[in-house]
Amino acid sequence: MSGDLAFYGFAALTVLSAFYVVFSRNIVHAGFSLLFTLFGVAGLYAMLAADFLAATQVIVYIGGVLVLILFTVMMTRIPRRGAGGRGLDRFVPAGVFALLLFALLYKVITGTPWAEKAPVSADPTTARLGASFLTDFVFPFEFVSLILLAAMIGAAILIRDRRPAADDGAGGAAAPTGEEERS
Amino acid sequence: MFETLALNAPSWSDLRHFVPETVLVVTFLLALMADLFARGRRPAGPFALALGGCLVALAAAVSSLPAGPRSILGDLVVVDGLAGFFRVLFPLIGAITILFSWASGEIMGPRREHKGEFYALVALMAFGMCVMASAADLIMLYLSVELVSLTSYVMAGYMRTSLRSTEASLKYVIFGSVSSGVMLYGLSLLFGLTGETTFVEIRAALLAGRADNFALLVAMVFVLAGLGYKIAAVPFHFWCPDVYEGAPTPVTALFSVGPKAAGFALMIRFFYTTLLSPGGGQAAAGAAAPDGVIVGPADWPLLIAILSVVTMTYGNLVALRQTNVKRLLAYSSIAHVGYLLMGFLMLTAAGLEAILFYLLVYAIMNLGAFLFVIALNNRLGGEEISDYAGLSTRAPWVALMMMVFLLSLTGLPPTAGFIGKMYLFAEVINRHWFWLAVVGALNSVVSLFYYMKIAKAMYFTPGERAPLRLEPLHTAVLILLAAPTLALGVYWTPFKNFVDRAVAGFAGLGG
Repeated sequence: MSGDLAFYGFAALTVLSAFYVVFSRNIVHAGFSLLFTLFGVAGLYAMLAADFLAATQVIVYIGGVLVLILFTVMMTRIPRRGAGGRGLDRFVPAGVFALLLFALLYKVITGTPWAEKAPVSADPTTARLGASFLTDFVFPFEFVSLILLAAMIGAAILIRDRRPAADDGAGGAAAPTGEEERS
Repeated sequence: MFETLALNAPSWSDLRHFVPETVLVVTFLLALMADLFARGRRPAGPFALALGGCLVALAAAVSSLPAGPRSILGDLVVVDGLAGFFRVLFPLIGAITILFSWASGEIMGPRREHKGEFYALVALMAFGMCVMASAADLIMLYLSVELVSLTSYVMAGYMRTSLRSTEASLKYVIFGSVSSGVMLYGLSLLFGLTGETTFVEIRAALLAGRADNFALLVAMVFVLAGLGYKIAAVPFHFWCPDVYEGAPTPVTALFSVGPKAAGFALMIRFFYTTLLSPGGGQAAAGAAAPDGVIVGPADWPLLIAILSVVTMTYGNLVALRQTNVKRLLAYSSIAHVGYLLMGFLMLTAAGLEAILFYLLVYAIMNLGAFLFVIALNNRLGGEEISDYAGLSTRAPWVALMMMVFLLSLTGLPPTAGFIGKMYLFAEVINRHWFWLAVVGALNSVVSLFYYMKIAKAMYFTPGERAPLRLEPLHTAVLILLAAPTLALGVYWTPFKNFVDRAVAGFAGLGG
């Protein structure tokens, strides 16, 4: 019973804070609210006996991604309040679509005999995860490292300016960013 | 899932069947390292390494044929005829892209940075596409799609000082992450329904009737959305024209054939393996195609047929209005996806053969058309149709080669495109989808109009008369692509045999 209570608690935390993320017009508030969403998901993982996943969720998403998001918001000049109105013309179709999608998923989730697993014991999973990363799943594990490498190179290519500004030639005075080529 | 964990590490000997892919990864890493030592305006080291690596991978892939069905790397990857075909195609596409990037101002221009990394990324993308074509498990399906997407985002935004390129990259990222999220949701539903992650096991679970049909339909439509985004089928195409227009043209050329072909490979393997029960037509083996029987009551062929018709019609009609050649070719590539989907829904070996043959032909002719755009962009600095006015007098041979590509894209004899379309339409008619064949034929007629708009500008619109000389490398590769486009239109038997063997060795159909 206390398990049920915890589940509904985490679920409510996740869903309600997710609503706030979407509907808040203040991007800093939305970012902070995301913290609770991610934490709620971590709680759900923990309840599914995925302790390592839950810890990773907290460390990577809350500790890393979320802090980055907030830093980005602070260091760029995005207007704190949402720019422009959120007109009904866009809100209504989006809302209808979202509701239809929800109805569809609700029908799927409630009307389906899922391939359920017996409840597993809440033993630590870390050792078994580590073992399978280096045996059965060694290929995807290494594959992910390639994805991360590609992402790092990508970030360097898209962001880093290797060339000194004086190298810009005749148009040195012109702003180096946002130039449109061949226009 | 972990209770049944058996500690069986994939053995090193598995890599013997994974040589082309291994070569591509090593190429990627070496090219990256070589870039550290690259000096001068052009990074010759990474270029030579990437090109050489792709060619070695190509040679390894060809020599590994016929690739017998074999599950490797913990049953997550399968090497069979289909994978064998695509791992010949992708290093080839990679090599051609690398070749014509070398002389392209958009990639190698004086204002560009990170030129070495570009070649490394092409090799990595080729690797990702090869894995897409041989993924046999939901995990590898998702990871390989992500790897190809990530490298694509970076390449689309490669001209980071260009607003258009940055916008293209951003649009690609946003659409890409949404569709991969939708796909991931579909995959999770599928796992929930069947409790399995391997395609073959999923089919076994579905055949055992362990899945609710409605939920299965929703899950599969979600997966289709993710893969449909990769091949840019309507209604998942919104990113396509903007990305194609904004990305550097060599990258656009790569996008228009590489990820599309990889998406088709993955779609074929995933849907045919999970949803077709084998043995339906195996009893009547021999001349009869090994048709499968679809699991579940959903009328998938009709659904895909509608998708196909909408895709080709939309692509062709919107292409009519374009004046920018890159945009025009983007819409035309959407239309070609529609034609290819016709073969996909036949669920027959002949349909698959037609798809693979058309993909091969399409890769050659579309790369050719884009190379023409690149080569002229280097000289004229633009890619509007009006820029090509009077080209037949300025560079008659180049105009002629473009004419060959355009005729082939339309599907007129005596070009490879005609043969490709012939096989596609023949199978559609054989299977009594007459209305689909009629719509396809009408669409081909429509496409003639906009392809000929380019031809008209080149041949009949008066323009400058000064002779135009292209980069020698560009001319050489253009000839390299135009020759097979013509030759395959006259003598295509070896290639047809090559494709037939690939389909015969496809584990999903052959059982």
